[in-house]
Amino acid sequence: MYKKLIIALCLPLFIVFASNTFSMAQDARTLVKAGFDYMRGKSSFSVVDMTIHRPNWERKMTIEAWTKGLKNSLFRIIAPAKDKDNGTLKKGREMWMYNPKINRVIKLPPSMMSQAWMGSDFSNNDLSKTDSLIDEYIHTITGAHTHDGKKVYLIKSIPKPDAPVVWGMQKLKIREDHVFLAQEFYDEDFKLVKVMTTLQIQMLGGKMFPKVWRMQKTETTDEYTELNYKKLSFKKNLKDSLFTISNLKNPRR
Amino acid sequence: MSIDVKMAWRNIWRNPRRTILTISAIAFASLLLVFMLSFQFGSYETMINSSVKIHTGHLQVQSAGYQDKKSIRLVVPDPDAIGKILDQIQSMEAYTFRAIAFSLVSSKKRTYGSIIIGIDPVKEAKVSTLKSLMRKGSYLAKDDTDHVLIGNLLAKNLKIDIRDEITILGQGRDGSIAATVVKVKGIYSSGIDDLDRNSIHMPLKYFQDVYGMFGAVHEVVVIGKSLKAVDGIKAILNTGIKKINPKLPLVVLDWKELTPGLLQSIELDLVSGIIFYFLLILVVAFSILNTFLMVIFERTREFGVLKAIGITPGRLTKLLLIESISMTIIGIAAGIIAGSLITLYFQGHGIDISGASDILVQYGISGRIYPRLSLLSAFIGPGIVFIITFLAALYPALKIRSLRPIEAMTYV
Repeated sequence: MYKKLIIALCLPLFIVFASNTFSMAQDARTLVKAGFDYMRGKSSFSVVDMTIHRPNWERKMTIEAWTKGLKNSLFRIIAPAKDKDNGTLKKGREMWMYNPKINRVIKLPPSMMSQAWMGSDFSNNDLSKTDSLIDEYIHTITGAHTHDGKKVYLIKSIPKPDAPVVWGMQKLKIREDHVFLAQEFYDEDFKLVKVMTTLQIQMLGGKMFPKVWRMQKTETTDEYTELNYKKLSFKKNLKDSLFTISNLKNPRR
Repeated sequence: MSIDVKMAWRNIWRNPRRTILTISAIAFASLLLVFMLSFQFGSYETMINSSVKIHTGHLQVQSAGYQDKKSIRLVVPDPDAIGKILDQIQSMEAYTFRAIAFSLVSSKKRTYGSIIIGIDPVKEAKVSTLKSLMRKGSYLAKDDTDHVLIGNLLAKNLKIDIRDEITILGQGRDGSIAATVVKVKGIYSSGIDDLDRNSIHMPLKYFQDVYGMFGAVHEVVVIGKSLKAVDGIKAILNTGIKKINPKLPLVVLDWKELTPGLLQSIELDLVSGIIFYFLLILVVAFSILNTFLMVIFERTREFGVLKAIGITPGRLTKLLLIESISMTIIGIAAGIIAGSLITLYFQGHGIDISGASDILVQYGISGRIYPRLSLLSAFIGPGIVFIITFLAALYPALKIRSLRPIEAMTYV
């Protein structure tokens, strides 16, 4: 009789605990997913200044970018004049590059995905695999602190055993209003390789959004790539025809 | 001739068969050492020279840090100024300029990453063997522009042949996008996988246009008249570079720094060679020790008599040492002469190693190796044999000092 009572009392308790740990992991993933959805919106159009900084040299480009969901994006350089109309199309895991001077589209081979994009500190992978962070990693919340009066979650993301990813670990900082504050990239030995931080969070495209993104290699202090959003607008929907190779070659807008 | 030497000489030839055997053991060891060492030194020189002639050269002038980073921004801005210094160096055979970039190379069907190398077609032909490595099509002409040479494995991967078009997409020196469409003029095969799978050569002028180099290059590649000249050229270049512009961070690298793997494989080979020589010398030493010990057992009676009639132990030791040293000298002399003759013959004719291991092919050695006879290779081996045989003879020579005449004379 007592036994039954104890079991009856303990069982719900156990379920509560079990579901609690379960929802913790689920929470971290939801947090990451919500963050991505917030940052990318359904579709977006932006104009970004990209500054590649090196110890005795700096280069600036202006890029137009269209994104749709997490899978599709199109980048086109509009300045400097020499590189105008060079474009990159990303659909899912595949990437193509277009050069107007030779009027050719080149599909990037898998072996090139870890190379730098246009000489910046962003790799092709960083552009093409952003969404892999959500599904190919196991996320856990490791802590929280406050920033500008808002709660910031610290999330550790370890790749799933068979996930085809290049990083050994990533650490994220996501604010409770879904704004990404930092993303740290670690190699297989859990050594920090590069860090992306966001600065100047302000109203952009109708929501709080970081205006400046900085990707910095950790081995040197004087090498980084900075993205500065000049224009940003979130759209309900962009046509699928925008994200095609023919549009990469002939901008229809 | 003193009486001791005379006696020693007669003692040697009292048993001619034994003496000749001992001498020929020494002679054969010396011969082998002379030839093997010459062969080894010769193969190193062949190895180094053919390896550097495929690509790296004996020496290179680069911007500091370029060797490790291979960044397109680390350039030698005014290569002609360095060319002027090189023109005045007597022991310099040829030099050329190269510019290098990593780019995407794409055929209609496929895309690969590859190293694009801008070369001066005329100068390059004097420095590297590239021209002779052409397997299909032809080498670049002086005024070619949008034509390239491509490694056979890369051509196979891209599924292209000569006269096909390929697209090159990379990044220029100023960070801008470098893109061009070029025609394949020739396909080369060096036997070195890395080069054949991963490189494309285009005319330097065209490269400089496409990649916005403004006349700059990445490597000034130098070949000396011989391997010995390398250090001298390096010293002159080092001072010359400082004179042009002391602020430019230029460095002169020799083949050891450019291809550390080559030096390591030479060192490895040398170590295994030394082990072999050590064993060879050990065998010779024991056979000589054996001979000398036998001599004592055989001649115990004789030594006893000598002692009985009043020879001092010191003189007896001296006698035996004169015997052993003169045998050794005859053996070594014969060995050096025969070894040198054999070496000289092969130095003229070469040794066919066409069926040799892949390691040698990796360093571009195929066909023939020419041994190189030098004072060092002719005398170092026999010199060690001399020392070892002397030590081997010392033991019995000292042992007989304690011989007692009566016992010795009754010894059978």
